[in-house]
Amino acid sequence: GQEFQFGPCRVEGVVLQELWEAFWAVKDIVQAKDNITSVRLLRKEILQNVSDVESCYLIRALLKFYLNTIFKGYLGKAADSRIRKSFSTLANNFFVIASKLQPSQENDMFSISESARRRFLLFQRAFKQLDIQSAQTKAFGEVDILLTWMEKFYQ
Amino acid sequence: VLCISGGLPKPTNITFLSINMRNILQWSPPEGLQGTEVTYTVQYFIYGQKKWLNKSECRNISRTCCDLSVETSDYEHQYYAKVKAIWETNCSKWAETGRFNPFLETQIGPPGIALTTDERSISIVLTAPEKWKRNPEDSSLSMQQIYSNLKYNVSVYNTQSNRTWSQCVTNHTLVLSWLEPDTLYCVHVESFVPGPPRLAQPSEKLCVRTLKDQTSAVKVK
Repeated sequence: GQEFQFGPCRVEGVVLQELWEAFWAVKDIVQAKDNITSVRLLRKEILQNVSDVESCYLIRALLKFYLNTIFKGYLGKAADSRIRKSFSTLANNFFVIASKLQPSQENDMFSISESARRRFLLFQRAFKQLDIQSAQTKAFGEVDILLTWMEKFYQ
Repeated sequence: VLCISGGLPKPTNITFLSINMRNILQWSPPEGLQGTEVTYTVQYFIYGQKKWLNKSECRNISRTCCDLSVETSDYEHQYYAKVKAIWETNCSKWAETGRFNPFLETQIGPPGIALTTDERSISIVLTAPEKWKRNPEDSSLSMQQIYSNLKYNVSVYNTQSNRTWSQCVTNHTLVLSWLEPDTLYCVHVESFVPGPPRLAQPSEKLCVRTLKDQTSAVKVK
């Protein structure tokens, strides 16, 4: 079957189509709750021209942030059962992917991991400029941008 | 245009119709105002930016659609659009779309199909659909270049046995073998891209007859 190849980091056992279907089922509802349309968290420059090697560091940071900061807080508020179902599909799969990513910690990779960290910080800084609830809603509404980028590494 | 806002009901059913990145905003007249001389004004917005932008060719128009292909041609962005109705000194509030993501939502048009046949096989050559372009002289961009995972669902119908079968291919050439001689086969093809669900645009049906079996023709002599 297909697998993710974020440079040296390979992740099997995840069906990307299931993530798409989970998000698409709630896309309109979730994005309609995001009223701050003048702010985009996952801006083009964050995800553009990411090298394969760098992608493992970046995706790991993003997925851990989604799990610990966005999904963790959001589930309690998600009253709509459709959102909760999609939500758990996404969260479970993000957890599987994140737990299988083992980026190299070698010294010679420092500059690459730093580049990935700078990209992630752009995202995190934009997130922190909003109140936590608006930021969580916005980040959840931008899962289509994240999945579009992840799809490039799915073969 | 100075008008009393909210004096009219909003336009309804506002959506993007998008095929091969040709992105057309369309809507229905406000309830109860079909047939009256209502005009419309359109604006669009790039998600993450600051201002609503005018579309000058869609200011005070009477038609209920507006081509925003140029304004939404960067498919790494997402967009909103809105339209309001104006009639005499009254106008409606804005009716707004949801967030439109052309990369994920555009329908992929059918490929071009060329068929050649012999006695027991049909060769199919597919040409990927082209991205919409502003001017015919502009250089073409194949949808394959945008969607590297573009695939095709080829359906084949044997008009004699009434049997249909389909197969999914990624390359652009396909040979159907072990066919019946002197039989009319019809083919239609759909393009599709894995990912979010998209409406499909099936191709026209193309039919071709396999050649007569030459060996039986020789025996007859």
